[in-house]
Amino acid sequence: MSADLEAEKDERLAALAAGGDRGAFDALVTRHRQAVYRLCWSATGNAADADDAAQETFVRVYRSLPSYDPGRPFGPWLRKVAWNCGLSVRRDGIAGVPRVAEGDAPEAVDTAPGPEEAAAGNEERRRVAGAMAGLPADLRMVMVLRAVEGLSYAEIALAAGIPAGTVMSRLSRARTRLLAALGGGS
Amino acid sequence: MDCRETQTLLAAFHDGELPAVDRARVEDHLRGCLECGALLADLARADRSAGVPDPGPAYWDRFNARVMDRIDREADGPGVAVLRPKHGWMRQQLRYLVPAAAAAALVVVVVRYGGMGPVAPAPAVPPAVSEPAAPVSAGQRTAKAEPESDGQGWPSAGAGRDATDSVAPARAAKEAESPAVARRVPPPAIADERLATVTREERDRLADRSLPAGSKEASRDRAAAPAASGVPPPASFQRAPDGSPPVTAADGMPPGSPAERKKMGGAAAPMAERQAADMAKSASGMMMAKEQAAEAPSADSLGKTRSKAGPASLASAPAPAPAASPCELARTLAARERWKAAEDSQRACLAGDPDAPAREKGLVFLAELLDRQARFAEADAVIAEVDRTFPQSRPLDLYRQQRPMVQRQPVPVPGTR
Repeated sequence: MSADLEAEKDERLAALAAGGDRGAFDALVTRHRQAVYRLCWSATGNAADADDAAQETFVRVYRSLPSYDPGRPFGPWLRKVAWNCGLSVRRDGIAGVPRVAEGDAPEAVDTAPGPEEAAAGNEERRRVAGAMAGLPADLRMVMVLRAVEGLSYAEIALAAGIPAGTVMSRLSRARTRLLAALGGGS
Repeated sequence: MDCRETQTLLAAFHDGELPAVDRARVEDHLRGCLECGALLADLARADRSAGVPDPGPAYWDRFNARVMDRIDREADGPGVAVLRPKHGWMRQQLRYLVPAAAAAALVVVVVRYGGMGPVAPAPAVPPAVSEPAAPVSAGQRTAKAEPESDGQGWPSAGAGRDATDSVAPARAAKEAESPAVARRVPPPAIADERLATVTREERDRLADRSLPAGSKEASRDRAAAPAASGVPPPASFQRAPDGSPPVTAADGMPPGSPAERKKMGGAAAPMAERQAADMAKSASGMMMAKEQAAEAPSADSLGKTRSKAGPASLASAPAPAPAASPCELARTLAARERWKAAEDSQRACLAGDPDAPAREKGLVFLAELLDRQARFAEADAVIAEVDRTFPQSRPLDLYRQQRPMVQRQPVPVPGTR
């Protein structure tokens, strides 16, 4: 990715890509691929499907670029596409419910867990993965966008196409359910 | 601030969404409240554990190239999806304009050779003998011939013709003109159809992969002229009103009476309407409607008329092989939203070991039928089978795009309940 393109905003890159600039599209992919993959992983619950969904997301976005309005923020749109791809690309299990295999529990990406946390990490991660899988898709989406992607309520609202107030209520319900499923909480 | 109030704000506090004033108040409370502090720790714990494994640098190194490969393979990038249809459209126009011009030339030849020759016998020394034998373009000939008197411009027609040819052949030639002119009409009509919807090109391309060469033509012919489908009219439809036009074989109704068709409860709807209805109802059917039309328009209408005509008419009607196919029955049932019955038929269809493209689409259709019954896990299994058997399946890709929409639709209550 050239330095020029690196400095461009998403919306500008999208407009360039829509005009046939593959370098601009490559820059977009590089910039967002990890976020898209994480979102797809959260929707699918396993690496293989997450990979399929992430690839499909960018293919779909590329196809849709001619109709993309640069006046709309690119990130939330991309995340919405990624989430939908994640939900639809599932190869087995119930659509929209992540399949969490025994060895497929997510590794914590948080930095430097203490020794105690590391010891309890696997079991807890498995429990959390199961709890996340048990959430309805609409709750899981806001949870992932907040907890994994670190988006603000307003950004989540854009990506999910819901009011910010609904984001808050869904997030609250999601966390309540998660904490209940995790057990051992206060 | 008490615990109750703090806990209502705790999530927003944790997410950094609280205004500064509220944030300070929550922080004050947290300094002296272990219970609320533990709740906050739970939120952080849940968020941390919801992390996602990173597949590593080797994965990311290849990621972009794989995306680009896939885009290239599918050849459906932005330049194709939106821009190319314009060129495609132009090519389509040329494809039909050239035969149309040829047909026009043929008409001129027929008119001149067949109609004018006998009326004006060839002169003893035809001036056009010196004209090139190779045909001039229709437009040129017409332009030249118009001002000239009949017979002089086309001596060769008379030269090769017995001078005694007169009225009868002339009439025959005149009559020949009508079908010739009529033949000129369809190409522009088809071109208009192409113009009407660009995405149709896409479906046609898909159909090209799966249909035998003849079946597409058959489809078009049948859609255009249902009477030619060769299905005998069921007895119940043969009692046409006195003096009314004869019923057509395929739809059992006089041609051009949509109102009466409607009265029959849609059983005899023309194929084009049925096709449109199927396409509207079936998401994955977008690319299959054509195939359906190719395989079974007559079967479809026969299937519908069977229920009206009863077994007696069935016995008298020789059922063509495609009419009995469970594949078409599945489509018919799906169009009526009888998903379970359609699923059974589709499974029977697939058990018939269809060829690869038909199986690919058939499996995708089965997945849709399962989705429509909210049997998502089974649909996933079918999709997985398509994935395994037909990597990079285009029908599956298309259905995947529409699948969330299909899954969101409410499951209709079966009529038997």
